[in-house]
Amino acid sequence: MFLLDDFLLRALGISVPGLDFISTLELVKNLAYKELYNPEKVKNRIKENQMLYEFGEISRAEFEETKSSLMEQLKFIERFEEMNLNARVDLLS
Amino acid sequence: MNSSNESGKYVYCIIKAQEGQKSFGNIGFQGKEVYTTTYKEFSPVVSDVMFKKYDLEDEKEIKVHTYVINEVMKKCSVIPVAYGMVFKNKKLVEISMRSGYRAMKKAIKIVDNKVELGVKVILPKDFEEDLKKTEQYKSEILKNLNQVAFDFKNLNLFSERLIMNTSFLVEKDKVQTFSDEVERLKNRYNFFKFQYSGPWSPYNFVDIHILSKQRGGFR
Repeated sequence: MFLLDDFLLRALGISVPGLDFISTLELVKNLAYKELYNPEKVKNRIKENQMLYEFGEISRAEFEETKSSLMEQLKFIERFEEMNLNARVDLLS
Repeated sequence: MNSSNESGKYVYCIIKAQEGQKSFGNIGFQGKEVYTTTYKEFSPVVSDVMFKKYDLEDEKEIKVHTYVINEVMKKCSVIPVAYGMVFKNKKLVEISMRSGYRAMKKAIKIVDNKVELGVKVILPKDFEEDLKKTEQYKSEILKNLNQVAFDFKNLNLFSERLIMNTSFLVEKDKVQTFSDEVERLKNRYNFFKFQYSGPWSPYNFVDIHILSKQRGGFR
């Protein structure tokens, strides 16, 4: 209902400061998602984990554990991107 | 992973044309023979394999791809082909060779009689870094190695501890000199950690995309 009001007001060209603030929050939230679910960052961490293992700074067990957790994260992000969950099409603006 | 029972031709790398068909043995995917076909002055190195998508997460298959290239490299200069380049038939391999012919002519000149060697330099754990000095040391290391190398490429610094991640293209007869220089630099800058790897096929110095803008081709 709240979202519907937002859409209707925007369609009428009415800007309500409170609702604009919500839009800003959504923008911030999307930026945070992009930062949190950045596949390049996870890929870099996978490479770093490999490097630390090759330099003998972590054990095989630590390496395998971190790798498996990072691969899970990467798969999740890829699924997230495929589903485009963080994108909402604003039809009225 | 998509798979089918259709057969295909998997291309590992491209070398200068060989007289007749040359075999590198049964070292390919599924123990298949690795052999050459011919297109003008080039020979794609191929295996008859199942036509499927080659998954980038399949470490075993990536190792087979790398192993074949390394074996071929022992005998001749190679233009490496990205992992996953499988074609439905010989005709499609020829079409891709035709479309990439000019780029390959250029690439073979760059990689002929050369190999790629990798040098990574990292800061030790809890190292108190002096940015100015680190930059100075890094440029000294690079300068010294470049005196021996034919070319170099700075790669992604994927970790905050990584101060240098560089691939060098080195003539085969200079590999020992280059290795000696790395050893000397390791001793001189012994407060850093060095990782020296190779020889690799020169992936970072040739970048040919045939019939596809993406790696892991499937056609």
